Amino acid sequence: MIMIQIQNLIKAYNKEIVLNIPELTIEKGEIFGLVGNNGAGKTTMFNIILDLITASKGEVISKGIVVRESEDWKDFTGSFIDETFLIGYLTAEEYFGFVAGLRRMSKPETATFLNEYTDFFNGEILGKKKFIRDFSKGNQKKVGIVAALMGKPEIVVLDEPFANLDPSSQYKLRKLIKDFAAANGTTFLISDHTLENIADVSTRLIILEKGKIVRDVPKTKTTLQEVETFFKPVVEADLV
Amino acid sequence: MNQNLFSLAWRETVRSAYWGKSIATNIALGFLALYFSANFLFLGLFIPKILAESFPNDDPLSKFNSIVLAYFAIDLIVRQLMQKLPTVSFKPLLLQNIRRKTIANYLLTRSVLNFFNVLPFFLLVPATIKLVAGTHSGIATIAWFLSLVILIFSNHFLAIYLKWRFNEAEYGFFILLGALAGLFAINHFGIIDLSGGMGKLLDLILVYPAISITLILIPVLIYFLNVRFLLSRMFINMLSGKQKEEKIRDYSWFDRLGENGRFIALELKLIWRNKRPRSVAMMTLIMLFYGLLVFKDQHGQPPPEFIFILGGIILVGMFSISYGQFFPAWHSNYFSMLMCQRLTMKQFLRSFYMLVTAVSVTCYFLTLPYALMYPKIIYTNLAMLLYNLGVNIPVMFWVGMYSKKRLDLSQSSAMNYQGVSATQWLGALPLMLGPISLFYLFKLALGTVGGYAALGTLGFIGILFHPVIIDFFSKQYRKQKHQLIRNYKNS
Repeated sequence: MIMIQIQNLIKAYNKEIVLNIPELTIEKGEIFGLVGNNGAGKTTMFNIILDLITASKGEVISKGIVVRESEDWKDFTGSFIDETFLIGYLTAEEYFGFVAGLRRMSKPETATFLNEYTDFFNGEILGKKKFIRDFSKGNQKKVGIVAALMGKPEIVVLDEPFANLDPSSQYKLRKLIKDFAAANGTTFLISDHTLENIADVSTRLIILEKGKIVRDVPKTKTTLQEVETFFKPVVEADLV
Repeated sequence: MNQNLFSLAWRETVRSAYWGKSIATNIALGFLALYFSANFLFLGLFIPKILAESFPNDDPLSKFNSIVLAYFAIDLIVRQLMQKLPTVSFKPLLLQNIRRKTIANYLLTRSVLNFFNVLPFFLLVPATIKLVAGTHSGIATIAWFLSLVILIFSNHFLAIYLKWRFNEAEYGFFILLGALAGLFAINHFGIIDLSGGMGKLLDLILVYPAISITLILIPVLIYFLNVRFLLSRMFINMLSGKQKEEKIRDYSWFDRLGENGRFIALELKLIWRNKRPRSVAMMTLIMLFYGLLVFKDQHGQPPPEFIFILGGIILVGMFSISYGQFFPAWHSNYFSMLMCQRLTMKQFLRSFYMLVTAVSVTCYFLTLPYALMYPKIIYTNLAMLLYNLGVNIPVMFWVGMYSKKRLDLSQSSAMNYQGVSATQWLGALPLMLGPISLFYLFKLALGTVGGYAALGTLGFIGILFHPVIIDFFSKQYRKQKHQLIRNYKNS
C-alpha cells in the first residue's frame, strides 16, 4: 500500500531550485532514510510533506490525501522537526498530556505508552520539576521524538532524530524505531547526517543532493559501504 | 574595537526583519515623537508665563526648580514603561577577543542615544534662555543648565539599572511605584519637603555655580552600578535559564472542560510561566484602578463622554487588548507544531475567545463600584464590554492574521527584553480610538444614551454571530498558515 506519493515536486526560492523530485512513492512499513549534506533539501522536503511550507509546483499525497488541500492527514501523522516543535513552558508530562489530548489518548493509555520509554528517557525526562525550555538539547529531542509516536500514527516524520543524542541513546533510538515499526507497521521518514545510524534503521536509503534524488536503494548488507563511497570520494579527491 | 561594535549595532538595527515590514509602526512612532517634542518645546517657551500666572507670589525660576524633582519621578516611571534597553546580543561577543568591560561600556554608551534623553532638551533649552539667562550671569546659567543635563542622564542610567533589575524580579516595578507614591505622600503632607529641597539645591547652584560639579558624581556612580551589574550577568548560564526547581501548579481539572478546556489551560500556563504575558496580566490588575484617575470631576463638571468610553474600554478590555493585540504570536515559538497536530483552527480561536470573554466579564463586575461615582458607569461599561467582545475581538483576529513578529517566550527572564518598548502600546490605539469615534458619530443621530446603546448593540450583534465569525476566521487563518510560519521563522 502506498503511504506517500510525491509528484513533480519543485520548491524554488527566487528561481533557485532547492528541491526537485519528479516522482517518489513510499510504501507502508518502509523506514525511509534520507541522507544528504547541508542544504540538500532534507528539511524542506519534510516541511512540504507536513504542509508547513508550500511547494512551488507539484503535490504531496499522503494516504490518498493531498496535504495542501485537506488537513485530514494530521490524524495519522506524527512528526518532530526541531525543538521549535516543543512548548517550552510546559513540563514533559504536561506536554505529553497536551499531545495525548490532541491524539485522543486517554490518561491510562498515555501512562502505559510513556511507561514503554522509561529506558529511553533514562530517568531524565519524567518527574522532573523543570520546564522543557530548561532541558538539554538531547532531552528535548527525546521528548519530541516520543511525542511524535503518540496515538499510533501510521506515518512518522523525524528530522535528524539522532543529532544531539548521546551515544547510548542513539543505539536505543535505533532499536526503538525498528521495534515500533515492526509492532505497528508504521512508515518512518527519517533524515540524518550520521550514515551509520541511518543505514542501520532504514529499509530504504535515499541520497539527496542539491535538491535532487541521486541514489535510491533498498537496504542490503552493502548499503552502508555504498553510501559511504558516495560521500567519500569528494574528500579524497580534494586531498590529491 | 568600539568602531567594530558600533557597526555591529548598526547592522543589527538595519537588518532586523522587523524594520522594513512595519513602516506603519515607524510612522506612528515618528508622529508621537514629533507630537511630544512640539509639546515640550511649547511648554518650554511659555513656562515663565505659565508659572507667573499660576504662582503670582513666587519667583518663577525657584518654582521651576522645585518642580524638577516631580518631573524626574514621572520621567522615571515613563522610562520604565517605554524606554528600550540596549540589547545587542552579547553572546557571540563573549568568545571573541573583547574584554567584558568593553562590551558593558559599549552597551551603556549605546543606550544614551535614546529619544527619552533628547525630549527634555526641547523644554530645557528654551526654559534656560527665557527663565535663567536674562537674570543670571553666563556662568550661573551654564552651571544650572549643566546640572539639569547631568540629572537627565542620571535618571537615564538609573532607569536602565532599575529596568535590568526589574527584569529579574518583576515585582520591583510595583515596589518602585509604591516607593514613589510614598515619597509623594511624604512630600505632599509636608513631612519632609523633598521637592523644595531639590529646588533649593538648584537655587544654590545659581548662586554658587561650582556646586554643579559635585552633581556629576551621581551619574558616574549609577553608571558603575550598571557596569558592575552587567559584568556579573555576562555569563551564558544567566542566559540559559534557572537551575532551581519550578513550582508546578496542577491544571488538570481543565481537562474536564473538554477540548476547549485543554486549550484554555495552555493559555493560562502560557500567561503564568512566561514573563511577558505575565506582566500583561499584572498590568490588567493595576489598570482596574485607572478609573480613580479619570472618572473625576473637572471643575465640578462630570468628565466628557470620551473619558467614559476610554475608561470603560481600559477597565473592561485592558487584558483582551494587551493580550489580544499579539494574537496569535504568543504561540509563535511552536506554531508549526500546532499546525501539524489534529487541532482545528476553530478550537484555537475559540479558546482564546472564551478566555478573553471570561476575563472581560470578570473585570466588568470588579469595576462596578465605580458606579458609586457615576451611576451611568453601569451602562457605559456594559456597552464597552459588549463592544469589546463583539467588535474588538474580531478586529484582533483580523490583525492577527498578518502578525509578523515572533514573540520569544523560551528565554528565561534574565537578559530577555524583546518587545518591551513603546511599540507594544501602538497596536492598542485603534482598539481604543475606534469606539470613541464611533460613539461621536452615533451621538450625532441618537444622542448620548443612544450612542452608548448603539455601541452596545453593535457589540451584541458581534457576540451573537461569534460562531460565524470564528468559522470565518478559522478558514482565513488556514489560508494564512504558511505565511505566518514563514514570518515567525524569519523574525
